[in-house]
Parts: sequence; structure tokens; C-alpha cells
Amino acid sequence: MIGIDHFGYTYRNRDHPVLSDISLSIPTGSMMIITGPSGAGKTTLCRALSGILSHVYTGTSTGSITIAGRDMMEYEGIEELSHTVSMVFDDADAQLIFTTVGEEVMTSLENSGLSKKEAEAELVKILELLDISHLADRAPYTLSGGQKQKAALAATLALGTEVLILDEATSELDEEARNLIFSILRTLADEGKTIILVEHMIDEAARYADSCILVKDGSIAASGTPEDVSRIIRDALPPITKRPRKAGGAALIESEGLVHCYGDLRAVDGVDFTLHKGEIIAIVGENGSGKTTLVKHFNGLLKPTEGTLAIAGMPCSGHSISVLSRHTGLVFQNPDTMLFEDTVRKEIAFGLKNIGKDQNSIGEVLAEVGLAGKEETNPRHLSRGERQRLALACVVAMGQEVIVLDEPTTGLDLAESLQIMEILMRLSDEGHGIVMITHNPGLATAFADLVLKMSNGKFIAAAEV
Amino acid sequence: MQEIMQYIPGNGIFHRIHPITKLLFTVIIVILAVMTSDLLLLGLLLVVVFLSAWAGGLGRGLTEQIPLLLILGVMLVLFTVLTMQGGEVLFTLIPAGIPFIGGGLPVTTGALLFGTILSLRFAVMLFAFQLLVVSTKPGELVTTLRQLKMPIDYTLMFLIALRFIPTLQREGIRISEAQLARGYAPGDGLMGKVRGLKPVILPLILNSLGKADTLGLTIDMRGYRRGKAETGSISVGALDGLVILAALALAAVVVASSMMLL
Repeated sequence: MIGIDHFGYTYRNRDHPVLSDISLSIPTGSMMIITGPSGAGKTTLCRALSGILSHVYTGTSTGSITIAGRDMMEYEGIEELSHTVSMVFDDADAQLIFTTVGEEVMTSLENSGLSKKEAEAELVKILELLDISHLADRAPYTLSGGQKQKAALAATLALGTEVLILDEATSELDEEARNLIFSILRTLADEGKTIILVEHMIDEAARYADSCILVKDGSIAASGTPEDVSRIIRDALPPITKRPRKAGGAALIESEGLVHCYGDLRAVDGVDFTLHKGEIIAIVGENGSGKTTLVKHFNGLLKPTEGTLAIAGMPCSGHSISVLSRHTGLVFQNPDTMLFEDTVRKEIAFGLKNIGKDQNSIGEVLAEVGLAGKEETNPRHLSRGERQRLALACVVAMGQEVIVLDEPTTGLDLAESLQIMEILMRLSDEGHGIVMITHNPGLATAFADLVLKMSNGKFIAAAEV
Repeated sequence: MQEIMQYIPGNGIFHRIHPITKLLFTVIIVILAVMTSDLLLLGLLLVVVFLSAWAGGLGRGLTEQIPLLLILGVMLVLFTVLTMQGGEVLFTLIPAGIPFIGGGLPVTTGALLFGTILSLRFAVMLFAFQLLVVSTKPGELVTTLRQLKMPIDYTLMFLIALRFIPTLQREGIRISEAQLARGYAPGDGLMGKVRGLKPVILPLILNSLGKADTLGLTIDMRGYRRGKAETGSISVGALDGLVILAALALAAVVVASSMMLL
């Protein structure tokens, strides 16, 4: 059992506590979900439970945590704790240290005290369990985000600890893969392990987990069964109503038979696609199905190997990215890929300067994405949800007709995701055409005029919703 | 995209010999390259490394590095020429006809020779090291280093450095794509290019720092630093003996001819 008694924590050099007065008990053999908006303290709570706060970081804490019958401070260090607790962090890439997936998992197995022969047998089992046997000899840099998350989880499962903590460790997986992971975790809990996972998709995880807590502003705002907490969250939000379908305007993007090859691989394999003015199109599909490769054509980052593509009436061949990107804005999956300035204002001004646009609209755009008054804040001090909206603001400010978003809600809770969707609907009402890639089928059906499903580089189903 | 310094699967000589043999081969070559300052012998070492690469089926990986090395070589020669003088003056970079500064920046035979030696040394060392890295699975290399009683922290550092080279390459590309999508165009001229690096380098460094934190915690939490000593014995074959003999023979040639030159 894990017990948390009036626990609070303040990071070094910070004025305000990240966590305050958290009391909780997690029975052995149970699975608990932690949910809440970004920046609420979920990751800090995970780090508290794994002993990182007590033994690695140098902030100040109050209260106490007991794990496996001993106070956290009684353990000699993270080294001793690592026999009992393991954790999967949200950045999968940084947790793959070895040069192949097989070696990664194998090293964990050997470290957990198995003989070489036992470890080899166990390796086969774990890779099969997570459906990544085919990745055993692959290097981390060749894997997709979802594959990396599975590999990081495999290496952690291999340690076989009594307590397993997952901090948004499934954020880049598609629906099917997420359900696979949840069911594996359920089985482990039934076998007597204690599982704690930070998760935004609580409705999906609900049928696997025993309990759920909602963390807000560093305290527990609600707790109970996952269904109860999900209801509390929903009740606090305006009801999601399906928006009326937009009548088609002028075509902003038109492609016919678009093919893109990486060597022998046909990553996009004959796609016909049309986006009209004011339309929102969602693209769903498994990891590696070609979604990102497709949308990179829409602003000229990639050129089709075969087929035709016109952006705002211009054929994309013969026009460079600097011309095409004036018509299409692309918001990448991870906002940290683009944020580099030291204030929010400068960050938005960067794009405007690049295309020679005046900077009068910055305040207006920030108000539109709900970041009014944050002009002088350092983007790196914003929460993940705020950074995502800033990334969107950087693109919106440039005023392109088409806005493409790659997974705009990764790492965001439902309320924050709905905030993004509201912004997108407003943009569509103003006449922008919007394409969003998403792993969240609920959002796709509720907010898009058209949901396209991609598989092996092709659209396999088109449903007007 | 070509990944630098990454393991290439294969079945050539270098793939079949024990990592410790390759390590020894690399060390011998590097020592020889540092000790000798004779152009001919350095050239010979370069040829030997190249022939070995070819025999091991790894020639292509090495030839791909030639453009980069040529640039480095030219820069090394240029720097030595600008900062060092010795021997005869061949010509001056600023023609004598120009008033006041005419006849400045002389290019001397000594500097040219020294610059070329430096470039050759650099090339030999880089290629020899690359031969080791591309033909050895990093896991095996780590095991060998552990068997040689190298401290676990150093071994992990070495491994992580190798592992994250391609990741950083890719991250750099992703960031520059994201900035291109914001209409970013690197400036003209050298200064423009340098200033234009900021939107790419800054996120790359900041993101790497975040990664380093997670990486460190992962290493601790997976107990990798428990440093379980490798106990397996080192078993080498006939091919290993052959490679070591060849390297020693080469050393003998280099040492002997250095003596004759003296």
C-alpha cells in the first residue's frame, strides 16, 4: 500500500508550492488514474511517489509518504527505491538509452537479477505482450512517437517492480494501442502490482481502473471511481453540441492521386483530398499511417512524388515553402519544437516579421487564444496547454487561409482540449480552412465537418458527420 | 538522411572480430598517427585504414565523410598558415603591390606542411574511430569496456553520446521545419547565417536540457549504475590474432621508418 499524508512540495527557487495538503491511500493490487489540467501538479505527484522529490531534487516538502510499509525518507536513495518503484516519464525518447529496443529491454531484465537465459525468454514475452517484437533490432531514432512510448514502457515493465507509475506514457498512442496498454496494466494490478497512471483520456481508461483523482492547482479537487470523476469533470463543462455542418466554400487545398515515397515505402499512397473555406477536417489513423507526411505537403515542406496538389489555387510544384507557407500555417505536435524567444510577444512577432506583417494584432490574437495579459511571460514558464495555445496563436497571427494542426490536444485535459476546439471553430467561422490530425476520436466526431481515416498511406473511410 | 557514427549491420572482417581487438587496433592506429609527423607514413596509415574498411565492407560509410573532412582539412591548413610561419615564404596572401599592408600574411612551406600533417592525423584518427563504432554493436562495446574495468559512468556517457547523435540530428531538422513553416528564412551572408541559427539552436538546446533530466532519472530508476561487473571471459579467434598482428606490423613499419628518417 502507498500512503500519502498531508504532503506538500515547493520546488527550489519557487515561491509557491506545486502540491499542497495531498492525502491519499492507494491499496496494493489496484490501478489509479491521476487526471487534471496541465500544470496542476500531476507530474510532481508522480515524482513524489517515485521518490525523486525526496532523494534527487532539493525543494522543500511537508507531510509524509509511505511506500511498501516504509517512510520514503527511510530508503537510502533512488537506487534502493528502484527495486520497488519504477516510472515511465512522458518523454519516451529520453528514456531509450541503448541503441536498439531489444538491448533496452534486455538491460532492464539483466538488472532485475535474471540470468542471461531467463532474461532472453522474458524479453521475447515482453516484446510480444506489447506487440513490438518486430522492433527488437530497431534503433530509437527510427521509431515513431507511439513506438518509442511502447519501447520505454517495455523497458520499465521488464524491471518487474511492485509499483509502476506512468506519467502520460500513452499520449502518442492510437486508440487501439492505448487499450492494449490499459488491459496489460489491469492484468498486472490483478496480479498484485500497484499501478498509478496520469491520463487525460479517463473515459477510455475508466473500465480498467479502480479509482481516479482529479488534481487542480496542486490539490485533490475530486476523487472516487473513474466514472464519478469523469462525471464531475463533464458537469463543470458546457455541454458538447455537434456544430451544424458548413456549406462548402471555395477549395483551399485540392490534391489528386498524391503519393509520397521514402525510398521504397509509399508513406502516402494516392490521396484525393479537398479542403474548402470554413471547413474543419479531422484526420485519424494509427501511428505511422502517413498522416503527418500528408499534411507536410500542405505548406510545401514536402513535395509529392506523384500526383497533383494545389494550395490556394497555386500548384505546389514550382512554388517554394516560403511562398506556400504564406497560405498555410502548420502547428507542430510539440509546441517546444518552435518556441524559442524569451517573451510571448516576441514569439508571435517572429512569424510576423518573417512575412513582413505589422505587429498591431498581437494583443488581439492572444485574447483570441485566451492568453491575454501574458505578453511579457517567458513561453517556457507557461503550462503545456498554454504553450499549445501560444503555438496556435503564432500561426493564427500570420493570417493564413489554411491552418493545419498535428495532434493539437496531446497532453491536454478535456477542458483544455475543448478550449482549442472553440478557437478552431471561431477560425472556421472567420473563413479559415482547418485540418487537424488527432488521436481523439471523440473530438474528431464532435467538431469536424469531415473525419477521414488513414491507413497505410490511404484514406480508408470518409464519413461526413 | 545519413546518420553519423551509427552501427551498420554487416558480416565483414570487422563485424566478426572481437570488440577488444577493434579497440586495440584503433588505439594502435591513433597512437601511431599522433607519434609520427611524416607525411608519407601518415598517408600510409590512411591507406591502411581505408583498405581495412573496404575489406570489411564498410568503405561507403567512410567515403561519405570525405567532403566533411576536406572542409575541415582546408580550414586546418588555413589556420596554421595564418598563425604560423616557418621555412621559405612561397607567396603572400596580400600582394606586395598594395601599399602599407602589401606583403602581409606570408604563406610558408613550414606552415603548409604542418597544416597538412594536422589534417592527415585528424583524418586517420576519425576514420579509425569510425571503423570501430560502425562495426560494433554499442551494447557489445559497452560490455567490452566494462570487462576492461572502465567505470560505469564513463561507459554510459560514451553510450549515450553515440545514441543521441541521430536523435539530435532529427530534432534539428524538425525544429528547422517548424520555423520554416513560420516563414523563417535564414539571413544572407555569414553573419546572417549565424544570426539565423538562433531559432533552431535555442529550442534544440532547451529541449536537450529537458531530455537530459529525464535521462538521468531513468538511469537511476532503472538501476543502471548498480554497475554489475561484467565477469564473462574474453574469447578471441584466429581472425582477431590476424588483425592485431597486422596492426603491430604496421606499428613496426612506422617506428622503423621514423628511426631511419632520424
